[in-house]
Amino acid sequence: MNHLRRSLLGAVTLLAAASAFNSPKPDDVPGVLISRQLLESRGLRIGDRVRLAREATGEGARTFRIEGTYEPTPDPMRFAQPRLEARLHLPDLLALTADPSDPAAGESVTSINVALKDPSDAARFALDAAARLPGTVARPTRAPDERTGTFVVLERFHLAIAVVTIVGSAVFLLALMVMLIDERRGTVGTLRLIGFTRGRILMQVLAEGAVIAVAGAVFGILFALASQDAFNRIFQWRYDTTLIFLRVTPRVIWQSLLLALPLGIAASLVASWTLLRRQLLTLVRR
Amino acid sequence: MRSLRLAWLSLVRQPARAVLGILGIAAIGALLFDMLLLSRGLVLSFGELLQRSGFDVRVLASDAPPFTGPRLADASALAGRIARLPEVEAVLQLRVREAEIASFGGGGVAPDGPMDQAVEGVGRRRRVEFIGADPQVRSMWTIVEGEDLPDAAAEAGPLVVNPNLARRFALSPGSEVSLRGRCANSPEALPPVTFTVVGIAEFPFDSVTSTTIAGTLADAGRLCGDAGVDRAEMLLVRSTPRAGAPGAAAAIRALEPLLHVVTNEDLIERFSRVEFSYFRQISTVLATVTVFFGFLLIAVLLTVSVNQRLGEIAALRALGLSRSRVIAGVMWESAMLVGAGGLLALPLGALLSLWLDAILRSMPGLPAALHFFVFEPRAIVLHVALLAVAAVAAAAYPMRIVAVLPIAATLRREVVS
Repeated sequence: MNHLRRSLLGAVTLLAAASAFNSPKPDDVPGVLISRQLLESRGLRIGDRVRLAREATGEGARTFRIEGTYEPTPDPMRFAQPRLEARLHLPDLLALTADPSDPAAGESVTSINVALKDPSDAARFALDAAARLPGTVARPTRAPDERTGTFVVLERFHLAIAVVTIVGSAVFLLALMVMLIDERRGTVGTLRLIGFTRGRILMQVLAEGAVIAVAGAVFGILFALASQDAFNRIFQWRYDTTLIFLRVTPRVIWQSLLLALPLGIAASLVASWTLLRRQLLTLVRR
Repeated sequence: MRSLRLAWLSLVRQPARAVLGILGIAAIGALLFDMLLLSRGLVLSFGELLQRSGFDVRVLASDAPPFTGPRLADASALAGRIARLPEVEAVLQLRVREAEIASFGGGGVAPDGPMDQAVEGVGRRRRVEFIGADPQVRSMWTIVEGEDLPDAAAEAGPLVVNPNLARRFALSPGSEVSLRGRCANSPEALPPVTFTVVGIAEFPFDSVTSTTIAGTLADAGRLCGDAGVDRAEMLLVRSTPRAGAPGAAAAIRALEPLLHVVTNEDLIERFSRVEFSYFRQISTVLATVTVFFGFLLIAVLLTVSVNQRLGEIAALRALGLSRSRVIAGVMWESAMLVGAGGLLALPLGALLSLWLDAILRSMPGLPAALHFFVFEPRAIVLHVALLAVAAVAAAAYPMRIVAVLPIAATLRREVVS
């Protein structure tokens, strides 16, 4: 029913005449729930009476009593918009929004949510309902829609940004390794002189590169885990929502490790190979 | 000039290191440049789209986003009153209806998609957005083939269709189309209404998949069987050059204080503050991270480089090179690395922005002409300023190392080692 309620209440979000005043609680005034954001932004309190109208002019306004407040379900598609909403009983909403010139208006709703006994039957049921009820749209709630498409695109965008960042990091790492290896030119030359083979030195550098890469990746993951809460709090405060913006999942951790380790090791190998391929005497500066 | 030459020689002596440093800065700089383009890209692009429609003030019944709030009552009389204001040049009523194509081109039945699309709702591919407008006012669309809606009433309702629809249903000027309204006030299927296509037009807010049709106000009413209901979603107002949008908006507010009147600038401001704020936030975060990353890269490169050359620098100082020249040499080295990388970042960033823009523009429902990454000279100025700050900050620590370097002790250590 949530979707139906949300759709219907969207209309009342357009309330034009909302005024509050304290008065004793009469029994004949219908109750209404007000979103936390609306309650705070208009300085309302539970027990207050408000007048809601469909028209901007306030024409046809009806009085309701605030019976409670609620936190709207976070919606990633609307996180930037203030959630100034109210929840009414369906008959009250229909009475408020129905067009008096339309006799069927009192029986009209925006959408109906259906819970199937067998959820796997949703696609067939939707097809059947759409065929039997011309003019209606029936679709499974799990079917991909515009919202899914939007988030798929955003994910692709974030991935593209990550790729560019990784390229930049890889170049940074390579430059750093080139400098570090170059610093050891004398040491490497001495090792070669006392009989260490190129392969053995390369293996040592490889092990060192792996250790550095693991340490860097672990530090990065720990930093992300520690800072995700701060990021979420900042954005939740900024947009006044309970939506979670950032979550370090096991998949993200594995992805980071799978990218960082080979990159770190490859950078070590490339940098050390540029040194090892030189003549021995060049390494010891003779 | 000597310090400049000193910096240049230091860089070319270790070309691999210098090239890698420049490439690193270029990659980071490209991302930074793109984030600067993204920070205001949507707002600029959206502003241009609004301007392209040819109207600079919008009148709505409430402050709800367009087409989601209540309609304007008694719209024709209201449009007339507003049109008579001296600050107003023209007023265009907009009535938007949903419809589906019942048949086209002499009885062809509109194609449906495959079964999986049918599940989404029967006739989804046939669905169109019908914009009812007054043909006597200059329209917001651009005719690309055929003619615009005729000023005088025609027998077979005239229509202009967008290129997507024309392509999908092989429509051209002269084609007949039957539309069936899908109206909220009519739960039952409405009878189809026959129209004649008079032109093909591009609509400023169409997405790549939009199927848009424009007809007269009366035809919008006929489609939903509510021809007698004088309600419009929005009034588009063109101000006179003398009054401008703020002047016209103020005059309309004075005339109709209960209505919600917004100028294009108001809309842009609201969108940049609310709807588009996510991209502004992400661009700020990423720009900060990239500047910090650039600073770190250069600082590490210069510090390690200076530490490796301490003996050489001490020798130069002992030979008579002044402290300020050696310090300036480090500063120039940083400036050269960042300058070359930053310069390379501009074409790289431009190419990258095309790729990122193409990714984001594939978001469903966005106007096809909307861009996320839009160039403006301010982006280059900011790019240069941020990289310059990063270069100076990165050079600070290695400059300090050089400044406090004890010459005799360093030379002795160098000889002993």
